[in-house]
Amino acid sequence: MPGRDRFIGQSLGASLTKRVKDSRVLLVGAGGIGCEVLKNLVCCSFGSGSTPAKDSSTSETESNELNTSNDRKPEIVVIDLDTIDLSNLNRQFLFRKQHIKKPKAFVAKETASQFNPSVSIDAHHASIFDKQYSVDFFESFDLVFNALDNLAARRHVNRMCLAANVPLIESGTTGFAGQVQAIQRGVTECYDCNSKPVQKSFPICTIRSTPSQPIHCIVWAKSYLFPELFGTSEEDASDVVVTEGDNAEEVAKLKEEAEALKNIRGLLGKDEFAQEVFNKVFHDDIERLRSMSEMWQSRQPPTSLKFEELKGEQGEIESQGSAISLQDQGIWSIRENLAVFCHSLSVLSKRVQSGENVIEFDKDDKDTLDFVASAANLRSHIFGINLHSEWEIKQMAGNIIPAIATSNALTASLCVLEAFKIMRGSQTYTNGALAPSSASNAHTNGHHDDLMGGARMVFLQSHNTERMVATQRLVGPNPECPVCSPVYAKLALQEGSLPTLGQLVDLLKEKLGYDEFSITTDAGIIFDPDLDDNLEKSLAEMGIEANGNGFIRVADDADEPKADLALSVSSQKGTSQETPAMQLLPTDITLPLKPIKAPVKDDATAMPGTKRKREPEEQIDAVFKKAKLGEQEVLVIEDDGAILLDD
Amino acid sequence: MEVQVPPPLQDIPTAKEKKYDRQLRLWGASGQKALEETHVLLINNGSGVTGVETLKNLVLPGVGQFTILDSHVVSEADLGVNFFLEEESLGQFRAEETVRCLCELNPGVQGFALTEPLETFIDKDDVLKPYNLILVSAPLDSAILARIQLYANALQIPTFYFRSTGFYSSFSVLLPTAFPIVDTHPDPTSTTDLRLLKPWPTLSEFVREKTKGLGTESMNQHDKSHIPYVCLLLHYLEQWRDKNGGKNPETYKEKSAFRELVREGDANEENFDEACANVLKALNPPTISSTVRNIFAAPEIDELTTSSPSFWLIANAIRQFYNTHNELPLPGAVPDMKAQSADYIELQNIYKKKARQDCAEVVETVRQLEKQTDRPKEHEISEKEIENFCKGAAHISLVRGRPLQIVEAGKPITFGDRAKAMAMELTNPESLIGLYICFLAWDEYIATRSTPSNENGDNGLKIPGSTDKDYKTDETKLIDMAHIIVDNLLKEANTSIDEPESSEIKAQIAKQCKELVRAGGGELHNLASLTGGMISQEVIKVVTRQYVPVDNTCLFDGIASRTYVLRI
Repeated sequence: MPGRDRFIGQSLGASLTKRVKDSRVLLVGAGGIGCEVLKNLVCCSFGSGSTPAKDSSTSETESNELNTSNDRKPEIVVIDLDTIDLSNLNRQFLFRKQHIKKPKAFVAKETASQFNPSVSIDAHHASIFDKQYSVDFFESFDLVFNALDNLAARRHVNRMCLAANVPLIESGTTGFAGQVQAIQRGVTECYDCNSKPVQKSFPICTIRSTPSQPIHCIVWAKSYLFPELFGTSEEDASDVVVTEGDNAEEVAKLKEEAEALKNIRGLLGKDEFAQEVFNKVFHDDIERLRSMSEMWQSRQPPTSLKFEELKGEQGEIESQGSAISLQDQGIWSIRENLAVFCHSLSVLSKRVQSGENVIEFDKDDKDTLDFVASAANLRSHIFGINLHSEWEIKQMAGNIIPAIATSNALTASLCVLEAFKIMRGSQTYTNGALAPSSASNAHTNGHHDDLMGGARMVFLQSHNTERMVATQRLVGPNPECPVCSPVYAKLALQEGSLPTLGQLVDLLKEKLGYDEFSITTDAGIIFDPDLDDNLEKSLAEMGIEANGNGFIRVADDADEPKADLALSVSSQKGTSQETPAMQLLPTDITLPLKPIKAPVKDDATAMPGTKRKREPEEQIDAVFKKAKLGEQEVLVIEDDGAILLDD
Repeated sequence: MEVQVPPPLQDIPTAKEKKYDRQLRLWGASGQKALEETHVLLINNGSGVTGVETLKNLVLPGVGQFTILDSHVVSEADLGVNFFLEEESLGQFRAEETVRCLCELNPGVQGFALTEPLETFIDKDDVLKPYNLILVSAPLDSAILARIQLYANALQIPTFYFRSTGFYSSFSVLLPTAFPIVDTHPDPTSTTDLRLLKPWPTLSEFVREKTKGLGTESMNQHDKSHIPYVCLLLHYLEQWRDKNGGKNPETYKEKSAFRELVREGDANEENFDEACANVLKALNPPTISSTVRNIFAAPEIDELTTSSPSFWLIANAIRQFYNTHNELPLPGAVPDMKAQSADYIELQNIYKKKARQDCAEVVETVRQLEKQTDRPKEHEISEKEIENFCKGAAHISLVRGRPLQIVEAGKPITFGDRAKAMAMELTNPESLIGLYICFLAWDEYIATRSTPSNENGDNGLKIPGSTDKDYKTDETKLIDMAHIIVDNLLKEANTSIDEPESSEIKAQIAKQCKELVRAGGGELHNLASLTGGMISQEVIKVVTRQYVPVDNTCLFDGIASRTYVLRI
């Protein structure tokens, strides 16, 4: 192969090169990993072919009628909701300083296109949760790459790819660690086959009355004090919970305390605001705590602070605070903390007065960080806990996950490497680097793992000197996984028809032999043997609409139940009189029996749509442990500094 | 080779700090400073993608300066594989064009291009002096590589040599003969050191106070459930010793029995759960690792001079501490545990105080050593540096750099003192030694079949598989060369491998050789990017002196998606 394609042709062989060029791939996320994946896709000529990809993967859910609207031309589609931030520039190399605040998807396309004009890139500045990204949309791709920074979106794409039966390459990094996992319906584990770790929360009394660690004071400042002063404050923060160990009387008392603070909020903008807030939370509330002698029988009571005494006579404290707040690597003295506290309160008050009704804590919003850091340190001092620099507090408060160029580069390259294997696996092969003979040659102890063309679960641990990149065989699906164990199929509604729920119930009975069963939508149960109120209503009234991204879930209530059925809904053009108003596709769905259930696990951790939260440190540890032990548990970690505590 | 831990930078402009925030959380201000003081030289050869991808990952986090030496002129094929070139680059010098595109990534980084041929560049004196790290990509004239190694070694400049073609790549690191690392960033779970088998009086006193009445009616459940697990373990250890002739639980069986004893104290409380969970981990006698032992036995530790790196003075002082107390200085950190706030804080203070005392003793010894070696006042080792060393003393590391294995025409390929170990690698199914041998054969092919360089920018190097005409003969030739290397290695190691294993190993090597020939020296962008990712990661480890770098050769097999490290 001459010219541009010389090297790729030499490396991949002619047949895989053509398949790569004619492929249509979706990249969800144009952040750290996304930029790198896009570069690699473009440099490996993905989506640069001129002929529409012939769909040889005979996906049974695709019928001709459904796919007339599908645009299957070779292309890379990039979707990202984010705009560019300064802290992205140390690794998201498609972006420059002048791009700050612009949509990532557009800039990524613009920069990457310059390299290879023959590659077609379609950029969407949108949320992957948008209804337009339906199962039909996902079906138009040969391959999907997840380069996301949050669990909810990862789970969503996982489910959509399962429904569309499109292979997904899932990836994530944390600091020096990374992971790549290939997922295909019915062949491998899906993203939700294993439960994900849960975010740590703290008992309310630890946060509000008896802190013992810096994080307790930081959570207090961030999740209690800050929202009381500047937020809506109605909702309770998710990281503080009332636990059994919490004293009910004390909890009631804490409520009153919060009420009193709200009254002080009325002084916002007045000169005495900082002083009033300070004396309330660092003096009066502390004195009240101190007075509860039973609480301090076996522990050191806190020592309260008084604004006037701490401030002393040394001039204008607010302006001093503004200078001190720039020194965020050192640990501030108590008085310096007071100065920053006053300074940040003043700035935040002005923001409220100029129309910002609600300010939320954001680690990258320096004013809010100044407030949280100084308030947390003042409280730490009161309870005899070590003080920290603002820079350290930022990490704890913002759940910042370290991210570097190298890990992203490595993880993204591994994604595309697995993509080659998957594409190799889905074609008949004659010769070339990844022909099955050479894939199994690499000392695999006699294993022939042909799941997804020999793709592997890949772990990156670049701080580990001996095993920077290690792999593990892909494992089959967990038969009890609530997300991938259902049979995915489609309900096709003829355009303009308005079938009722009753008609759907009849259709399910007739085609699939259901007797007693229930139907659930994202809004809840709409039909079961004891709930027949809705039968006369149209599906539209029940919130079921064509070409969305929701699912209708059918669960069998028989003694030996069939597997669950998950239906996506698409519209079908009524080309002839015979086109039914509603039909199931494929027309020959078979539902196997459900496997016998093992003792019930904590189902909530794996239910789709239930947002679970995690503690970053635990994730990192868990990943290292898992990679070391070679356990089968799947754990993909966050890419960028996702604020898990806050979402 | 000074190990320096600069103080935190108080005055980085906020915007810069913000840009680098996510990486500062990994290597800190001192690591960032080291990176910004680095000037990398890339000697770029062949299709040259891996080198440029490596630089990309160094320019983004803010390496100080970089220079690309490359006399190649941009071709169509370059445009298809190198992201940092544009259509307009065609016909221009590749060095200039890649430097321009890389510089766009980070305005804080300075890049320079040198378009002089490597042969004349390397002829000049002191030409490598401005750089503190060198990257060399294959293929190049092996005599020139040997000279680069000679100069780099004399100047103690860390040098990387790498090859990337098709689905395979390798890189080797030439480090100074002594490359010590203090800040190795060990796994946080392995750094807890509570000294439960050797409590000191203040700690024992605290334990007695906190466990007074434990097991009797005089202690209420609330207090019982808030005894820190450290105190519980120490309390029950004393009970155990009383019943067992003063001995601590040592074997697994004894430790299990000890755990039962703790469990009998309370069946449900969380602090008792924590105590039980920590029995196996916390009751290990404080032995030092073989790495630390090797450092204590290194000649440098006894040959202290006026200009010895601070590492060796502190290591000497720590060794004296160890010889006196039969333990390393206490790191002083206490893990999170269930406890009353005040108790926890007091416990923390007890550990911190002991750590400070230990450190003070080490500081004193260091000062004596400074005096004995007439160390100038301006090179006095900071207390902060000694403190960091004490905290990480159990996890310090030392890499002994070894020369690159350079294949030169007419000279046999030998493995020297590593021959036996490498011969053993041949029969290890996990090892990628076979791939390494293929790359040696690849180097040998180039070294023996190349012609002198000619004027059209072509350096005269002949790459196996680069022309269709010689494809088949190249395969045979490369396989032969690789098989001879295997035979000679076995001879050198004075060993042999039985059939059918021997034939299997050779058949495997033949397959990998065919792959190398098929790729014909061309890089696959994705693999080059991956290899560049690994190399830049190692560069960062080397320049920041944090984390332990690869010692010394890493191979990547893109077909199996895995790495393997060999010490050549």
